[in-house]
Amino acid sequence: MPNVNFRHRDGSIDVVDAPLGSSLMSAAIKHPVDGIIAECGGNAMCATCHVYVDAAFGDRLPPMAEEEDEMLDGTASARTERSRLSCQIVVTEEMAGMTVDVPADQV
Amino acid sequence: MTRAIGAGDDITLTELWADPYPAYAKLRQDEPVAWVPAVNRYLVTKHRDIVALERRPEIFSADETGSLMKRVMGHTMLRKDGPAHDRERTGAEAPMRPRPVRDHWTPLFQKTADDLIDGFAERGEADLFRDFAGPFAALNLAMMLGFDDVAAADLQEWSQALMDGTGNYGDVEAVWRRAEAAGAGVDQAVLRAVERLGAQPRPSLISAMLHAGDPLSVDEIRANVKMFIGGGLNEPRDSLATGLYALLCHPDQAQACIDDPALWRRAFEETIRWVAPIGMYPRQTTQEVELGGTVLPARAKLGIVLASAGRDEDVFDHPDDFDLRRKATHHISFGGGPHYCLGSFAARAEVSQVAWPTLFRRLRNLRLDPDNPVRWGGWVFRGVLNLPVRWDP
Ligand code: HEM
Ligand code: FES
Repeated sequence: MPNVNFRHRDGSIDVVDAPLGSSLMSAAIKHPVDGIIAECGGNAMCATCHVYVDAAFGDRLPPMAEEEDEMLDGTASARTERSRLSCQIVVTEEMAGMTVDVPADQV
Repeated sequence: MTRAIGAGDDITLTELWADPYPAYAKLRQDEPVAWVPAVNRYLVTKHRDIVALERRPEIFSADETGSLMKRVMGHTMLRKDGPAHDRERTGAEAPMRPRPVRDHWTPLFQKTADDLIDGFAERGEADLFRDFAGPFAALNLAMMLGFDDVAAADLQEWSQALMDGTGNYGDVEAVWRRAEAAGAGVDQAVLRAVERLGAQPRPSLISAMLHAGDPLSVDEIRANVKMFIGGGLNEPRDSLATGLYALLCHPDQAQACIDDPALWRRAFEETIRWVAPIGMYPRQTTQEVELGGTVLPARAKLGIVLASAGRDEDVFDHPDDFDLRRKATHHISFGGGPHYCLGSFAARAEVSQVAWPTLFRRLRNLRLDPDNPVRWGGWVFRGVLNLPVRWDP
């Protein structure tokens, strides 16, 4: 199972065992990672599972669908180039060791 | 075991309507999932239990038996589970995403606000619940639905009549008749909109449902539009008025928002945490299940008390205070899981990006009217019932 690092604003890190084929969001919720809320349960409807993905891993992620792109315009913390909805990222081997930053606000 | 404690036994509807918060505090403390005879349901009052149950929609079903909502509106997406729900929901979603809300709807909300304020700006006083929040929410909802020809007053009447119908547990004949008349009014308005939008798609809800990849039938659209009208009007109205009241009670917090407009959104989230506009919604178990220390039988009717979750002392410090500077919090006042509010981004924009900043900008020295107190009421839906204010014209 690949490990994904969820880095908090104070620098602390949750190392999450992310099962292959599950969403990054559900791995974070199971752990649980503070600050990943995922109110809509992974339906790309709430934007409360927002993360900033390490740029080095950007091209190993699934491409962004139009819904996700439109939803990211509603995040509580500012959207950047690295913004993704963790519920739309299906975990693969290539994500082992990836770091994602948890935003200050989700709501 | 549950029945032996009976923390909910003494709760009355009158008390819930007047001020439900003391009763909820007691339930959270004594019996967080408690049978409450007055409402004929188990009330779920802890934040963590609500979050947990919304992650298991196959056990905590939205498709309640004997639902009065179904009787009044037909079977809407709000009372469906699984793929049947997802199909209708997907059809309606596109125009309510944050991007169209920002680029398409927000300028139109702004026009609604300015037109309404033009009508009373010179008066120096108003009841902003009646003169602004109600018509603002109604006019915006009419636009979002794709109704070009429905007056705000009709929409407000339909909304009230449909809501009263869904709460008509007393089986009052006049209430059914008024709800039926409202339903007939909606059916005709939907038919006119469908004829118009059939030829010419637009970024509205009815248009989206009609032109979806898997289009909704006219009957499905009618039922869902009734739900939108019954449920999409009160909440923006009530959060607008209730939050404005809180900001006027705490001028330092209002000033902080004026100085740093990014804070308006925080003020909105704090408002709906403090007083959840939808205080309670129903669910029903599909099997026996344990929740919050109580064993629920299959087909148990539950009331999910969002109003209580927002005041849960395990999650929020000094939960009864309105404080937009509280450290980042996680309210659940838009619900959770597949039925997570479809209008959440529209409501945020209407209230916190348009209504509040515009009112504070245009009505100089806006303040509460010291001679007319604000009244509160409700528990299924809750907010201030009036908002008398003055300003320097
Ligand atoms: C402050 C404003 C609002 C609040 C607090 C709010 C709250 C909620 C809540 C708690 C639910 C879940 C109910 C349940 O699961 O039984 C919900 C669902 C829904 N809301 Fe809102 N709402 C607001 C504004 C709006 C607006 C403006 C619209 C329409 C444009 C809207 C449309 C809907 C719809 C269609 C659903 C059902 C979604 C589904 O079944 O998938 N809401 N809302
Ligand atoms: S969990 Fe709601 S958008 Fe990802």
